[in-house]
Amino acid sequence: MKKIEAIIKPFKLDDVKEALNEIGIQGMTIVEVKGYGRQKGHKEIYRGAEYIVDFIPKIKIELVVDSQVVDKVVETIKKAANTGKIGDGKIFVLSVEQAIRVRTGETGKDAI
Amino acid sequence: MSFALYLPYYILKPDITIIVIIMAEHPSTILKQKRTDLISSFLEDNNEDFLEQHSRLFDDYFCGVFEESAVGPRMNIVKNPYAVVALGGYGRQEQCIWSDIDLLILFRDKITTEAEDLIREIVYPLWDIGLQVGYSTMTKKECLNLAKDDFEVLMSVLDSRFICGMSKVYFDFKKELMGTFANSRSEKITSWLVENNHIRHQRFGDSTYLLEPNLKDGNGGLRDYHTLLWIAGIKSDLKQPRDLEYYGYLTHDEFEALTEALYFIWNVRNRNHQIAGRKCDQIYIEYQIKLSAFYYPEVSDIHEQVERFMSKLHGHMELIKHQYQMFLAEMGYVGSKKLKKGFFRKHTPIKGLIVKKNMLNFVSLEAVLKSPELLINIFEESMRLKVHLSTEAKRVVKEMSHLVNEDFRSSPGVAKSFENILVTHVPGFTILNEMLNTDFLVRFLPEFKKIVNRVQYDEYHLYTVDKHLLRTVQTLKKFGINEDTDNYQLFHEFYKEIPDRKTMLWAALFHDIGKGEEGKSHADQGAEIVKPILKRMGYKPEFVEIVSFLIREHLFLIKVATRRDINDEMTAISCARKIKDINLLKMLYLLTVADSMATGPKAWNDWIAVLLRELFLKVMHILENGELATTEAVKAVDEKKKRILASVAKKEDIKNLEFLIENMSPRYLLYVSAEDILDHIMLFNNLGDSEFAWNISSGMDSDTRTVSICAKNSPGLFSRLSSIFTLYNLNILDAQIYTWRNNIALDIFTVTPPMDSIFEDDIWSRAKKDLLSVLSGDLDVDNRLQASMLASRKEYKHLLKRPHQVKIDNDSSSFFTIIEVFAYDFPGLLFSITNIFFRLKLDVHIAKVATKLDQVVDVFYIRDLNGEKIENSEQLSELKKTIEDVLDTNN
Repeated sequence: MKKIEAIIKPFKLDDVKEALNEIGIQGMTIVEVKGYGRQKGHKEIYRGAEYIVDFIPKIKIELVVDSQVVDKVVETIKKAANTGKIGDGKIFVLSVEQAIRVRTGETGKDAI
Repeated sequence: MSFALYLPYYILKPDITIIVIIMAEHPSTILKQKRTDLISSFLEDNNEDFLEQHSRLFDDYFCGVFEESAVGPRMNIVKNPYAVVALGGYGRQEQCIWSDIDLLILFRDKITTEAEDLIREIVYPLWDIGLQVGYSTMTKKECLNLAKDDFEVLMSVLDSRFICGMSKVYFDFKKELMGTFANSRSEKITSWLVENNHIRHQRFGDSTYLLEPNLKDGNGGLRDYHTLLWIAGIKSDLKQPRDLEYYGYLTHDEFEALTEALYFIWNVRNRNHQIAGRKCDQIYIEYQIKLSAFYYPEVSDIHEQVERFMSKLHGHMELIKHQYQMFLAEMGYVGSKKLKKGFFRKHTPIKGLIVKKNMLNFVSLEAVLKSPELLINIFEESMRLKVHLSTEAKRVVKEMSHLVNEDFRSSPGVAKSFENILVTHVPGFTILNEMLNTDFLVRFLPEFKKIVNRVQYDEYHLYTVDKHLLRTVQTLKKFGINEDTDNYQLFHEFYKEIPDRKTMLWAALFHDIGKGEEGKSHADQGAEIVKPILKRMGYKPEFVEIVSFLIREHLFLIKVATRRDINDEMTAISCARKIKDINLLKMLYLLTVADSMATGPKAWNDWIAVLLRELFLKVMHILENGELATTEAVKAVDEKKKRILASVAKKEDIKNLEFLIENMSPRYLLYVSAEDILDHIMLFNNLGDSEFAWNISSGMDSDTRTVSICAKNSPGLFSRLSSIFTLYNLNILDAQIYTWRNNIALDIFTVTPPMDSIFEDDIWSRAKKDLLSVLSGDLDVDNRLQASMLASRKEYKHLLKRPHQVKIDNDSSSFFTIIEVFAYDFPGLLFSITNIFFRLKLDVHIAKVATKLDQVVDVFYIRDLNGEKIENSEQLSELKKTIEDVLDTNN
């Protein structure tokens, strides 16, 4: 099992969600996050006052999937979230030791 | 029966365990059985007296145990009398399924050592059947002293009820207790109760709006009723709830309504206990589904079921909250603070109204009947004088609501008053809420009826639609007061600047009115519903249009901010074109913010605030700079599109063209004529896989040539193209470059014709070949040009230094850094500058180059290769210096 964490631009959420649904992934956790990487913050100037956005709003998608489909999922997210510009985001893949469904006690693949 | 048999099993010796099992008739076993029967009959058919009967089961149990007690006789009730007393909810006979049982063993003189045994006898078996029992043993004196110091204790003994034992002990105690409430002390206790309840409300929130209300501790919960009961009890020694009516705290109708509300809430509470399997007074969403299925089995849609159920529950809790607040107001409290006597002396000049005990009242019922406008005047006066309506006045408003008829609604004076109430902000006064609570608002604006108490069954909306609308208005008006935080500062400025805020406030009041309708989007429906309302109130059509627009688009900005790429200029431009007007944009922004804030924390947080503000400022820039989003611009672009599309007939071609137009940048569409665009499209079609396609045409007077080039955009393209002209000694008089959004660059150069006019075609085809070599990198144009420029420099060298200027503008556009160069022309000028951009890894998105005689004005819209503006100040000054150096050396 792998956990996939993807940081994407907010307006790409629908595209990514749809693309994942298409390949049969339905469950995911979505968090509104802020941060910056190479795409530094920027500012808007209005009437001489600077409105600085140092942390840029992003969406984080988290999902745990079976190791066999990781590549497919990553590829799907990559394709759907791409605008070709800086700040399109990053995808992380982490190993997951165990998953348990609280209600039934199922573990491993069955629990995700 | 011996004493040992009543002990709980865990302290029994193993060898007699078997005896317990056959002792089926122990009162606790009977209690358990009877409770099960009573609960299941209640769950099936809503036994009206459940609480009382349930409490009585416990009374029976205690009496039964007491009678058969082994310890009791040893305690000698004659010598040392005592009583078993019910406290708290059990005392009030409001025993719900899993409520705690509070018990007091009250001794007249002293606590005997056997008391502990008695407790064991009567309390432990209850624990064994899974009930929560709290108990205490006290002497009369101890209890009175404790009640004096600790109000919590006081409240629980106020609700006490005698169960068994020596009744005189209890009744003497109760008499003494009531005797301690001298006037001053009763005030102190009342203040404490009010304050305590206020703190509780802050902790548990307003149940009359909350998604998962707390039946007991929230605003409008049972504790409000209890507090009312306690205060009245201390002041008037009530014996039963009905006394509230007899002592004049409530009218007959109010008491009836209150009883009905309480009955419903207790019914829900019992069912909630049953579902949770424990004492639980919070109505969680998962429980709501089960509860609503019980109350509305006839409704098939589960959402509808829950919405209906929650609406009913909220309605009842609202009534309790309202009743409680009216009660407090009559007691002289505003919020949780008591007003000092005679502190305010206010007068109203309005005939028919009067200020009494710092409360606004009608002079008489006749006065209202004679001039019904008083019904709205009283609210307006309340706001102006900052004085609340008295309970009596609210009652009158409610009862006289039939006077609010068609004539009343369309009276100009009334409309004026209502508008005044709508737009004025008085901190701490929510007149619109008062109007809602007294049913006046619904009578006055019947369109509100469908959304009153309408719950939106999701995690997003914390409030019912009607409350949400009023909260939005209130939030918006608060922007009018200066607040310190940065964000508020911006809201405040805009709020003050908007010339006619009325439209925005009307839109706030009605933005979700469409939620009462079925079918299509509520925003669209609301935009229509509001029209006849405002017309009837006498507003002009232009005014109505603005309100209607704001309602229709109240979700627009938030949708764009979260679902579109706000770093794409086109996003901001299309917003600007839709909204068109700066004030309208400001109003829409403030409305969006207020709406989100009034919805709940999930709808408004820093994350969304940042996105929304960024979009807003970008759209604002575009509207302020004008050119791209004016009505004329929109019209001109639309006409061009039509003309371009008219040039082809086949469906497929139209589709292709539409796709291309979609990809053209806004400035391109605005500034390039339809004919030229058509030419460019042809060029684009010719481009195919080649490096570039070009087209050369003569100007009208034939001493200029226009060279249009279409190529895939790549860094330095502009610089390389201009190099060719310099290489062939063609003077660039004018140049414009545009980049389509599909990364196609269109560069249009106006140049002087080649010297040798006879072999012109020949020269162009050589130039074309060279350009190909330049683009493919085979020809190092840089070196060749540097050499030829150096040679020609002397020719052009002037004796006097001529001024030039490089301006960098990072403010005008949110998307580009704009560089303006004013200079005297020299061969290769454009190439030199664009070459600098190329070397510094900057992309020229748009350029306008114009030459007048020998003066050049160049404007470049540039971004870095990542598509961002250049905001690093070091980078900017380096850029400026490099350009200036080039201009200096060639001057």
